[in-house]
Amino acid sequence: MVFRKKEFKIAESASVRLVKNTISVILVVYTFITLFLFGNTILSSFKEKQELINNTIGIPKRFTLENYRTLLVEKDFLRYFFNSFFLVFLSLFLLLLVASMAAYGLSSFKFRGNSVLQTYFLIGLMFPIQLGILPLFIMLTRLHLNNTIPGLALLYAANMSFPLLVFSKFFRGIPTSLSESARIDGAGEFRVFLSIIIPMSKPVLFTMGLINFVTIWNDFYMPLVFLTKNSVRTLTLAVYTFMANFLANWHLVFAAVVVALLPVIIVFFRFSDQIVSGLTGGAVKE
Amino acid sequence: MKKSKKYIAFIAPAFILYTVFMIIPILFAMYYSFFNWNGIGDMVFIGLNNFKRLLTEPRMSRIFFNALSNNFVYLLCVMVLITPIQLFFAYVLNIKIRAHKYLQLMLFLPYVVSTSIVGFFATLMFDPNIGVLNSILSSLGLEESAWLGNPDLSFKIFVGVVIWQCIGSGMMIFYANMKEIPDSLIEASIIDGAGELRKFFNVVLPQLTSSLSTNITLSVIFALTMFDIPFMLGGPQGGVNNTIDFVNMVFYRYAFGGAYFGETSLGFGSSISVTMFLIILTMSMLVKALLKKVKIDY
Repeated sequence: MVFRKKEFKIAESASVRLVKNTISVILVVYTFITLFLFGNTILSSFKEKQELINNTIGIPKRFTLENYRTLLVEKDFLRYFFNSFFLVFLSLFLLLLVASMAAYGLSSFKFRGNSVLQTYFLIGLMFPIQLGILPLFIMLTRLHLNNTIPGLALLYAANMSFPLLVFSKFFRGIPTSLSESARIDGAGEFRVFLSIIIPMSKPVLFTMGLINFVTIWNDFYMPLVFLTKNSVRTLTLAVYTFMANFLANWHLVFAAVVVALLPVIIVFFRFSDQIVSGLTGGAVKE
Repeated sequence: MKKSKKYIAFIAPAFILYTVFMIIPILFAMYYSFFNWNGIGDMVFIGLNNFKRLLTEPRMSRIFFNALSNNFVYLLCVMVLITPIQLFFAYVLNIKIRAHKYLQLMLFLPYVVSTSIVGFFATLMFDPNIGVLNSILSSLGLEESAWLGNPDLSFKIFVGVVIWQCIGSGMMIFYANMKEIPDSLIEASIIDGAGELRKFFNVVLPQLTSSLSTNITLSVIFALTMFDIPFMLGGPQGGVNNTIDFVNMVFYRYAFGGAYFGETSLGFGSSISVTMFLIILTMSMLVKALLKKVKIDY
């Protein structure tokens, strides 16, 4: 028997509907916490210093951009913003390039030790990042890469097990006929990789890029350990150091939070579906 | 698959990067844990003494086991509270309750909020002097609370904050899995007259083994490596009376914070992270074995 969706809706009893609506209401109220936190932070970032002391909640009496000006010009937040961007893009570039190349090498060439290598690259999933952090700290210091953004980018790129796994799975699903015909036309392996495999893998590269963007942009632990100098500080770290003395900076903290939130919020509302598929990484689809 | 030597050029960069910055540091951490070393002077081999001190010296072991028990209490919260909430939210999104599109976005949104901003939001809400909650309480004429400064409340607030921030990702993993359950399966159970609850346990849950194992494995690792949020809420010492201290914070203090008799001890710090790794390894193997058993049962 085939029922259409609509007929079920009618069959739904009044009590089930009541329960469903109650749950909706409770959850909507629950999400107002989030709305309040975001909304109030944005509104308060436009308040004058004097007003903020007495009035943390609500609409500003007079809108001012003074907080943003002070923050970006006098408090170096423009630099922190640039640091965060530089760190994220350098890490993503390295991570995606190196992991996709290795995934291609592992998934389309036959050689001795291939499966051993695949397992080797997966070991990283087992270890918490904190385990190696002390030796890494010593290593980076000796290489004069501690307190540098490229140094930390190398560490993020080295944590490649998950993207490598996802890419390998994806590359195995690409039909070989296309690359075969390109090879017959005389294309070398790198040509095949760059002009056939990469264009076909744009969606999966993009989703992996997205979730790593969010993770690295927001990361606190690694910058806390590896970027202690003021000149290389990332935004999340800057917000934290600001908070440590929040009473003195109270009027600026709101604007600082807005600046740090803005890029990820834009990415979130534009690409939330892709973030989810990046999170599941094809694991659910098995 | 092709036979060619070209694969070396493709794999070599990743292999070098991964080996140098991922695998070798791990091996070195294990190596250091057998030494007494402050990072500059001589390394003195002391066998298992670091571990012995961590687990048996009264002052040290009290700090360590307090933190470890917090990790496990939190893990318990994950199992009995957080995972069920994630499942429940995913399920109500999946049956398309009113406003489910809005709810999906709003429940998932905190996932992209950095933990330092979570720390700011917590100050905004819970700070005894300027926090929203105390101003509400005082305007109602009620007694104000110390919130995170109150050792009886701090762990509960911590769990609440984690729920607010971290529930979205697991929820979305469940939700994505639920969407793949064929409608016909759920519809069949409606025809049978199954209630929502029975439908959930008999029809939906058995289909969720892949997302359950993903989520449980991820949250075991997350629980045992907990750092950011308690650090934000309670500072490096883990709050009043170390009520929200976790092993990873103990490690941070001894490795980078000079908490080891006023100096940094890399050997001792390594022994903390190695111990933690062994616990994580044991737990993940346990979870794996358990999940396998459950799968066979279905």
